[in-house]
Amino acid sequence: MKYNRTELAENIGYSSVIDEKFKTSFLTVRFITVLEKETAAANALGISALSSSSKKYDSIAKLNEKLSALYGASLVSFTRKRGDIQILGMSSSWINSRFAIDGEDLDGEMLEIINGCIFDPNAEGCEFEADSFRITKKDLLDRIDAELNNKRGYAISRASEVAFKGEPAENSCYGTKETAEAVSSKDAFAAYKRLLETAQIEIYYISSEENERIPEMFRRAFADVKRAPVKIEFEAKSPVKAEPAEVSDEFDVNQCKMVMNFKSDCTDKYALKYVSTIFGETPVSKLFVNVREKLSLCYYCACRPVTSKGTLMVDSGVEKDNIEKARTEILAQLDEICNGNITDDEIQSAVLSFENALSQIGDTPSSYEAYYFDRFCYGEIMSPAEQLAEYKAVTKERIIEAAKSLKLDSVYLMLNKEAE
Amino acid sequence: MEKNILTSKRTGDSCIHVKHSSGLDIYICEMPGFSSVEALFGTKYGSVNTMFKMRDDKEYTVVPEGIAHFLEHKLFENEDCDVFELYAKTGANGNAFTSFDKTCYLFNCSANYQESLKILLDFVQKPYFTQATVDKEQGIIGQEIKMTNDNPEWRVFFNMLRCMYHEHPVKIDIAGTVESIAKIDADLLYKCYYTFYNLNNMVLSIAGNIKADEVLAICDECLRPCEDKGLETVFPDEPDTVVEPEIYEIQPVGAPIFHIGYKCRPCSGQERLKKSMAASLAVSLITDASTDMYKKLLDDGVINSSFGGEVFVGDGYFSVIFSGESASPEIIRDSIKKEAERLINEGINEKDFQRIKKSAYGMSIRELNNVEVVANLMINAHMEGAGPYDSIEVLSEMTSQDVLDFIRSEFDPDKLVMSVVKGE
Repeated sequence: MKYNRTELAENIGYSSVIDEKFKTSFLTVRFITVLEKETAAANALGISALSSSSKKYDSIAKLNEKLSALYGASLVSFTRKRGDIQILGMSSSWINSRFAIDGEDLDGEMLEIINGCIFDPNAEGCEFEADSFRITKKDLLDRIDAELNNKRGYAISRASEVAFKGEPAENSCYGTKETAEAVSSKDAFAAYKRLLETAQIEIYYISSEENERIPEMFRRAFADVKRAPVKIEFEAKSPVKAEPAEVSDEFDVNQCKMVMNFKSDCTDKYALKYVSTIFGETPVSKLFVNVREKLSLCYYCACRPVTSKGTLMVDSGVEKDNIEKARTEILAQLDEICNGNITDDEIQSAVLSFENALSQIGDTPSSYEAYYFDRFCYGEIMSPAEQLAEYKAVTKERIIEAAKSLKLDSVYLMLNKEAE
Repeated sequence: MEKNILTSKRTGDSCIHVKHSSGLDIYICEMPGFSSVEALFGTKYGSVNTMFKMRDDKEYTVVPEGIAHFLEHKLFENEDCDVFELYAKTGANGNAFTSFDKTCYLFNCSANYQESLKILLDFVQKPYFTQATVDKEQGIIGQEIKMTNDNPEWRVFFNMLRCMYHEHPVKIDIAGTVESIAKIDADLLYKCYYTFYNLNNMVLSIAGNIKADEVLAICDECLRPCEDKGLETVFPDEPDTVVEPEIYEIQPVGAPIFHIGYKCRPCSGQERLKKSMAASLAVSLITDASTDMYKKLLDDGVINSSFGGEVFVGDGYFSVIFSGESASPEIIRDSIKKEAERLINEGINEKDFQRIKKSAYGMSIRELNNVEVVANLMINAHMEGAGPYDSIEVLSEMTSQDVLDFIRSEFDPDKLVMSVVKGE
């Protein structure tokens, strides 16, 4: 495997990962910007519009027809949140040309399509083409509506709003229904242009062999863009509230949800990851073994770190009658870690889980991309083996210190109406 | 022990199939350059297997709904400790799942795979149930059932199956109901275990950074030979008709969702493989973004990018399902009917067919590039009575006429049902 990152222009990175075992090529372009309530929906629409058509393939039907003829090549846009930043982009993958039955130059065809979608979009003047944009906008509005369909995901989103109130991270990466509805084709096009000019841009190419045509294509295309990049802060610890906040919603559901947000000002991210893992990330974690298995208080009870905000979220599916007991037990399990009641087996199990996860990086193109993007955000480019060494250097004392820095910030409850 | 190397003529990929002396079928795919290992140890026992007997039994045994899933949960506990504790010492991620027609225990890891494989083979062959642990599990699974009842995707799918099937147990929830699992006891679990967890009814599939000789040596060490007792599963007679054409459920959802499905005639073995491929290509033709139907539905705001389809197949059931989000699923149902009618009357455009076929071929190439997918592909193919690379061969030989024949014989408008979950 060979990894290399170069700067094509100011704040435009091009990373290639060459690994000969792959039968496919994978290209992702990420636009990174500050997450703001006012611009989130317009940004999401500006980038989504790019993957639905281009000047050459000027409808969803035509673009899809072309992609399916290229052996089902994929081209999708995405919008994500990482703490206070919004990450938007386009991701594409296609099989290597050596598998093409009719000898097509799949790399060349796909580069032409991607180049067209990003730099020659389906627009007239300063607006995206009306029909395609209307469909793209409906898709976003439906996606916002559909958030409630996944109750666990919805509870986590609501818990983020409560935890990060007043900070960019409180916002959804899709914007609100109201802000999305207000975005015109012109607004979305302006957002797209703004992102081209001001976003931090990271491009990833993962394939079995180098392809110099790709960096060259982006270098040439960006030469025509008047860049004025805005500096991005990838980490912004969230201040803990003086008193834990509690917010609840009621729905006609069978199972209640509880999300507890803990915050820390600790800068030792490796030790915090140990805390999260030992606390509730695995089937041998304290929350799984005690809260779920021994006490049967929750069907699921798991911990996830939001590292860029110095936050751990514990989310659980719980019956109304057990909410208080579950809350008390979750806090008691955190106290166990703070008091040093961590066994060597728990630490060793955490090390093995890090080792397992890090060793598997590279088995899929997307795992390479996610890993190296994460390293970029942290400003520390290192190999998975080097990162594992960082984990292995963490002592029990560091884990205890990190755990002690966690304070309960807020609780979100999704309650069922009947249980009231 | 019979050992065969299976190779795909199209891609050059290969794997090893072994019929082990213990009775177990073993599939091994060494994947050079990959770091991870994915292993599945599965039995052909799922939620639909509620009635069975052995060769020497006179009567069929009927068991409560949800027992296969219950057994899966309980097998994770052995007499001394929880299986997760054992995996925690090797670093592997252990898990399991029960579907309609199989139960699989699996792990993935990047180191110590031999130790993890020993754990997998050992605990699945060593049941330990007591009434106390069964009683406790009833509470945990009861919570799981409640949670899935809050999942609109789950509800819309099972409601559709209930519209489609009169008798076949595919219509029952995989986890059963709070009432049905209350009938489960330790003796019943042992009975099901010794019936279905016979190695002659099981498969081991392992792919990734492994060596076949090492895997087979562990199998020789850990597998306990089983006598083939002639397991026979039966299903109630299923009428050809549907139960009811549509069902609506109110749930707290933001976006209404639908499943629209054709009830098709079930089949098995190679016929199932060919028919599934024809059905899959038919779905792709109908959900293809370049069709007039798709364009109109999209332009009119009836569908969004969530619109898609799948083929749902198993022992005694076969259906083709279209799904997505929409406030007007009735329009989609009518459009699908009309599109099927148009294809039947006008035939399939050969250019469109070749394009769709190419797309399916590209998907097969991608699948062979992923350790987890390869391990699943091998076990799924075996349980469907096929080889791991048979589908890519069947695809290469598929013609537009095959697909048209499938649509003509199976897309019967009288066997089309619709399930909708929407908000108040």
